Amino acid sequence: MKKNKKMLIGCSIIFVATIVLLIGATTKASGSELTLQEIIQEPHKFQGRFIMTQGDLIEKSIQWDADLIQLSFKIEDEFGNVLTVVHQGVKPDNFSEDVIVIVEGFIHDDGIFTAEKVQTKCPSKYEGEEYDPELHEKEIE
Amino acid sequence: MHNIGVLTIYLGLAISIYSFIAFIVGVIKQDQKWVNSGKNGVLTLFLLTSLTIVLLLYVLATSQFQFKYVSMYTSSDLPIVYKLSALWAGNAGSLLLWTFLLTMYTTMVAFSNKMKGNPMVPYISTIMLGNAIFFYFILATTTRPFELNDFIPSEGNGLNPMLQDPGMIIHPITLYLGYVGLAVPFAFAIAALILKNVDSFWIRMTRRWTLLAWLFLTLGNLLGGYWAYLELGWGGYWAWDPVENASFMPWLTVTAFLHSVMIQERKGMLKVWNLSLIILSYALTLFGTFLVRSGVLTSVHAFGDTNLGTYFLIFMGIAVIFAMYVMMSRYHLLKKDSDHFESFFSKESSFLINNLILVCAAFAVFWGTIFPLISEAVRGTKVTVGVPFFNTVMSPILLSLLFILAICPLIAWQKSTIKNLQKNFLIPALLTIIVAILLFIMGIRTIYPIIGFTLVAFMLFTHISEIFRGVKARSSVTLENYPIALIRLISKNRRRYGGYTVHFGIALIAIGIIGSQNFSVESMKTVAIGEKINIADFEITYENLAQKSEGLNDIIFAELKVQKNGKHVGYIQPEKIFYSNWQQPSTEVGMISSWQEDLYIVISAWERDLRATFVVRVNPLVKWIWTGGVVVVIGTLFAIWGGRQNQVIPRYRGTVRKVT
Repeated sequence: MKKNKKMLIGCSIIFVATIVLLIGATTKASGSELTLQEIIQEPHKFQGRFIMTQGDLIEKSIQWDADLIQLSFKIEDEFGNVLTVVHQGVKPDNFSEDVIVIVEGFIHDDGIFTAEKVQTKCPSKYEGEEYDPELHEKEIE
Repeated sequence: MHNIGVLTIYLGLAISIYSFIAFIVGVIKQDQKWVNSGKNGVLTLFLLTSLTIVLLLYVLATSQFQFKYVSMYTSSDLPIVYKLSALWAGNAGSLLLWTFLLTMYTTMVAFSNKMKGNPMVPYISTIMLGNAIFFYFILATTTRPFELNDFIPSEGNGLNPMLQDPGMIIHPITLYLGYVGLAVPFAFAIAALILKNVDSFWIRMTRRWTLLAWLFLTLGNLLGGYWAYLELGWGGYWAWDPVENASFMPWLTVTAFLHSVMIQERKGMLKVWNLSLIILSYALTLFGTFLVRSGVLTSVHAFGDTNLGTYFLIFMGIAVIFAMYVMMSRYHLLKKDSDHFESFFSKESSFLINNLILVCAAFAVFWGTIFPLISEAVRGTKVTVGVPFFNTVMSPILLSLLFILAICPLIAWQKSTIKNLQKNFLIPALLTIIVAILLFIMGIRTIYPIIGFTLVAFMLFTHISEIFRGVKARSSVTLENYPIALIRLISKNRRRYGGYTVHFGIALIAIGIIGSQNFSVESMKTVAIGEKINIADFEITYENLAQKSEGLNDIIFAELKVQKNGKHVGYIQPEKIFYSNWQQPSTEVGMISSWQEDLYIVISAWERDLRATFVVRVNPLVKWIWTGGVVVVIGTLFAIWGGRQNQVIPRYRGTVRKVT
């Protein structure tokens, strides 16, 4: 029985250590997942906080500066809230009209969101479009 | 075609319900006729599901766009192999595949030779049929594979280019095989409990099932990582995305289970623990599916929002409550029959610690994954923890796991004395210290990689010395020379040495992960033709940008000359592929891979004056991860197949019933 007790103590130590680790890491590394609505309405409230949000891409708004390697674009939700995003990095794949874009980063005074990470939502849900040779030409040029 | 398809599904639902009831009636009445009828039902169900799946494959292959599923995920110009693999591109098809595998496994168990005359069979079949009913219910009501379009489109949407990759052909199916495979040990465990059998029969009987399921889970995870690495072009292989976590959690708990059952087999301990682990693992497969299909979490994967997730959650709830109820009602029997630990310093206890760490790891992943949901419930905002959280938490946990992995083979069963410990540990420990010093001399100064690599070295040394001691002992008895002794030793103890081989594989994977997580460098640059990019020891010259066609696809590619330390190493051609009916191009990573590092280049954009933007990464040691994966597969297969150990049919000593 004494041996079992010893085991129990050993196990509890591992368990407690994990919990401590978890709590420590949770408070340190947290960001908030917000809707566009929440961000647009009260941008000041979330300043300095690491934010994750998502919205539909407005293709026309995409601007790409090759020399600065800077991408900027706008995303919107179904209520018409629009957020401008600036990202020091390149376009992810599948970056086209109406694709859901997930961005992670910070919101600033001027309402512009600087994204550290830009992702498009994965394949499984997408629907394709008709083949359009002209479109290819356009993209290729 | 549509009518037949729909009919097979309704029929499947009916037969699964019928067989489920037939087994229960047979057990209650103790009437073999009913049980046999149930078994025939199981076989019929399997044939029927096969027919359904063949039908769906047929309409996919022949591009019958009147079916929604076909027009959603394929187009007529798609290569046939991707038309077929669209079977698991969407909800309906993938759940049909799941059902197919489930009925296949149920048939294999119900008609198994080893289980002939065993009273557990009707119970196991009933439990697995309970699963089948659930899946058929969903196929008949929510995600109907044979749903028709309102009007027939002339062309389908096509498969997303990202999915047009060999990864698509094998990665999903391996994961499903792993997920479904866990239903078998779960059903065995619950059946044993219902019959009040508290011995290890169910564990011995399902050892290979569980190993196979574990192998597929491992493969699924690794292939997913490999695919992401090559296809997505962000330079990583693991992102702690909810969907990845969903398949990683059961992997962790099943790994724990595979180890702790050894203690039960040998010592009759940890019975409740093992049962809990298998219930947990099984529940996690359903929970993972819930996460993926419900859209409650923000993930780059996700199958879209249907109420499918809710169904999975409810089903998981029912299954877990039922399993827990059965277990608690047999708790006194399990407790009475369990042994205790004989020594603090024994193999048993080191296994238990390994188990605890694995379960803690699973819990940590679980916590990080569902934290957004918890925080939303408690505080109203979804708080995400992100990659840093997982890295902070998982690094120490996985490192301590490596440590346990290193000392485990050297600790004897029951009780280790200080003396034999010293004997076993001395040489590996000395060698490990030398490695640590070498790492330091090589210029590694950060703490995690030093600890990590050192632990991996320690683990490799202890395993090698353990094998060496085995060889020496055998050779001194049989007088065989060392190589022959080694071969015979290994082939006579497939379980043990298969397991050690898996450990070697894990060591290689660990080397790759530690290397790539700590030492990768990235550079993004826009350059004109003739200009150079310098990164780490590489000098990359952008030579040309050109276009070519492959079938309906147009490909833009850049030619880059690569020099390392002034020496020419080759050319890299990163591409963007414009798929026929897809407006946006897909990335095709260009890479030169060596044992030392991967030079990983993505062409991300180009301008009218042919300037192009490249993302260049040097990822050290990534190749070790994939190599380690291969070693893990070899080790597992070695432990599963052949050898006398695997032929032994465990003796059934449990409750006897009239119906089997």
